[in-house]
Amino acid sequence: MTAGDLLVVEDLRRSFGGVHAVDGASFKVQSGSITGLIGPNGAGKSTALGVIAGALRPDAGRIEFDGRDVTALSPMSLARRGLIRTFQTSSEFPRLTVIENLLVAAQHNPGETLRGALLGGRRSWRAHERQLVERARELIAGFEMSDKEDEWAGNLSGGQKRLLEIMRGLMAEPKLLLLDEPMAGVNPTLSRSIEEHLQRLNRDGLTMLMIEHELRVVERLCDRVVVMAQGKVISEGTMDTLRTEQEVLDAYLVG
Amino acid sequence: MSLFVASLGFGLVTASILAIAAVGFTLQFGVTNILNLAFGDVMTASSFIGYIATTNGVGIWGAVALCALFGAVFSTLLNRLLYTPFVRHGTKLFGMIVVTIATSLIIQNTIQAIWGPSFFSLKFSPGGSYHIGSMVFTSSQFGIMAIAVASMLGVYTLLRYTKLGKAMRATACDPALARSCGIATDRVVDVGWLVSGALCGIAGIALAMNVTSFTSTTGGTFLIAIVAAAVLGGVGQAYGAMLGALTIGLSSEVAAGVIAPSYKQVVAFVVLVVVLLIRPQGILSEVAEAKEVAA
Amino acid sequence: MSVAWQFYFSTLLIYLAVDVMAVWGLNLQFGVAGISSFAFIVFQAMGAYTASVLTLGPEQGTSFQHYVGGASLPFPLPVIAAGAAGGLLALLVGLVGIRRLRADYQAMVMLVISLTATYVADNSTHLFNGPAGLSLVPKPLFGGLNLSLVNYQWFYVGLCAVFCALIWWFVRRFTESPLGRAMRAVRDNEHAAAALGKNVFGLRMTAFVAGGVIAGISGAVFVEFLGAWSPGSWLYPETFVFFTAILVGGTGNNIGVAVGALLVPIGFLESTRFLPNVGYPGFVDALQWVAVGVMALIFLWFWPRGVIPERKRRFPQPGEAPRTIGRRLLRSRG
Repeated sequence: MTAGDLLVVEDLRRSFGGVHAVDGASFKVQSGSITGLIGPNGAGKSTALGVIAGALRPDAGRIEFDGRDVTALSPMSLARRGLIRTFQTSSEFPRLTVIENLLVAAQHNPGETLRGALLGGRRSWRAHERQLVERARELIAGFEMSDKEDEWAGNLSGGQKRLLEIMRGLMAEPKLLLLDEPMAGVNPTLSRSIEEHLQRLNRDGLTMLMIEHELRVVERLCDRVVVMAQGKVISEGTMDTLRTEQEVLDAYLVG
Repeated sequence: MSLFVASLGFGLVTASILAIAAVGFTLQFGVTNILNLAFGDVMTASSFIGYIATTNGVGIWGAVALCALFGAVFSTLLNRLLYTPFVRHGTKLFGMIVVTIATSLIIQNTIQAIWGPSFFSLKFSPGGSYHIGSMVFTSSQFGIMAIAVASMLGVYTLLRYTKLGKAMRATACDPALARSCGIATDRVVDVGWLVSGALCGIAGIALAMNVTSFTSTTGGTFLIAIVAAAVLGGVGQAYGAMLGALTIGLSSEVAAGVIAPSYKQVVAFVVLVVVLLIRPQGILSEVAEAKEVAA
Repeated sequence: MSVAWQFYFSTLLIYLAVDVMAVWGLNLQFGVAGISSFAFIVFQAMGAYTASVLTLGPEQGTSFQHYVGGASLPFPLPVIAAGAAGGLLALLVGLVGIRRLRADYQAMVMLVISLTATYVADNSTHLFNGPAGLSLVPKPLFGGLNLSLVNYQWFYVGLCAVFCALIWWFVRRFTESPLGRAMRAVRDNEHAAAALGKNVFGLRMTAFVAGGVIAGISGAVFVEFLGAWSPGSWLYPETFVFFTAILVGGTGNNIGVAVGALLVPIGFLESTRFLPNVGYPGFVDALQWVAVGVMALIFLWFWPRGVIPERKRRFPQPGEAPRTIGRRLLRSRG
């Protein structure tokens, strides 16, 4: 592992029944990069992401995040270490308002402990809460959704829910954001705007690993690309170097 | 030792009734994914239908057939007129539990409003008793066991060898996929309720035959054992429920005979707790997580 | 007001206070944390039994009732112990019942726990005197105050009001804090909450135990007034009544569920208890249960969010004055 690698995945394996969904995948995510995870349907991308995020237990292999072995940790502990994921299907908290969806994502909230909630008043968490509200409002404004601040999250459109999920992830101040098809099911205008937001966040120093089907999007966004097919990583590198590799195209065409 | 063997005999009878009920409960859950907590009360209703029939001169076997018919029709109507409309209305898992418990209360208390809180007995002759070692059976208990074996064979044949049974199993696995494969899931669901209801009706009268007297809450109380048997076997798994019923029925009667009668229900509960602790992800998580309610 | 009417109203108010406390506890477990807590009544029963045996004196050799304990503790102590007992039992039940279970599954497990608890209480006569239950529990401070019976009733109403105020404060500490928000997030989507670093099991257990404490206290306040408690007082349909109250009032809204408690257990069940009975004993009760079942179905169909739905929590804009408590109450944000 070099100093610049935020995430190192080594020989990851996970099967369901007899199907080897992830079959010995190894790759790295460099700090400060947007790394694309691409490959045909059934290549094991989502499974790999699920294993990295702790939602699925690996059968074998090793995951290193931020210099520490985090293999098979729970989603909760991974999130607390700064590894935050979004879901492929919308997963907002429908009976929380948009701003509450963000506030709940903040880490180490003194008002979320039993002691803080029961004993704390103005002094303990309310000041902290005011700062959080301010930060949440900035984020919401940055995504041009200020008018939706007090809307039930369940009432948002599909595209707005995707934005909410990204905002919510950011509110947790992650070191690494895992995105599972953030543009899926979103109209082209909004999709373009999500892209711009992601680019802006990356310029501000956020590292991302994203699954994306649309090759043009990957080309515009990603510094590095990991290509999976049949549970294995068949190629890894910059988009330019990959373009010359016939195998990649084959994976897409045949897959 | 002879006490143990004698309670084993009771256990076989209890297990038979439990098997009929648990298979009915689990079969319907498997097909429709609705946990019908009114099941015990439909059993009670059947017991009372059996009571009406036998006090009006219908023979016990005629009453069993009548109860099967009643249970089937009543359960199907319950689904058609109440459960399905709620599911289509968008009522989710927890809401459906409220619906089935409300139904349970309505049935149980309607029965109580009609018949009062007193105890009733079926009017029939249990027949002579037969000794097998230290086990004693009346001929009606032999009858119960025979019905159970016949019902289980019937369910087995239905699921294993008929096209309808395969359609039921397919619907249980994945209702959406089954529908897109051209299976008329509505009809399958109806059949599921009919079969489950018939078993419920039979279990209701079999329970009334086996206990000296019953009241409006008898079926509801029996629900613990049914649930335990179904959970032990894996909810939705018909064959599992048969095994679960055998385990719960035998062990609860043996505990009642050898330790103390009050342990009868507690055994069922302990089994349930142990299963829950051993499978912390939830019994049959694959069923629990992914499936949509089909109705 | 005649003495008889005073008795009637004060008794209703005491019942209302007990039910309001209970639905706040259940709302914390179900409305806030999303637990299908169909064993709720068991925690109330645990509180009632604990308070009873701690208030009663040691069992005499010739006594008609048998129980454990018998400590003759002075007034607030049995209630506090009852809260602890309710919370402890909730912790144990939670270890089995608060797992990753589907909501209906969880409800079924809890229901079975409730049925079994009744069965155990009925059959272990030396724990809390079996099916006959405990009676002649001394009323708190009754001897010391020297009040007439009817004035004692009103004194107890006041006592209930104090307990309600305490529980209200306690419940709001959860629902109006980031802790309650995290619980609601878990209720709405546990996987997403876990992916944001929330301790799903811990949050649920916290809400569950806190609800158990409240249930225990409500049971204690109830039994100290009634003076008697038996397995017949806490059959599982009683939990269903509380759930119906929550559904009718507005799941997740503290004021809504209190209104629900006024409408369902009081308006529907308790008030008619003082009216003359028709038919055989239990006939009216049976019809009431049918009515409660029908009411739950009607609300679930037409008003699934209840009469006072869960409100949005808004945050003051910069420069906006923080709201006063009075205004907050008026808006009934619950």
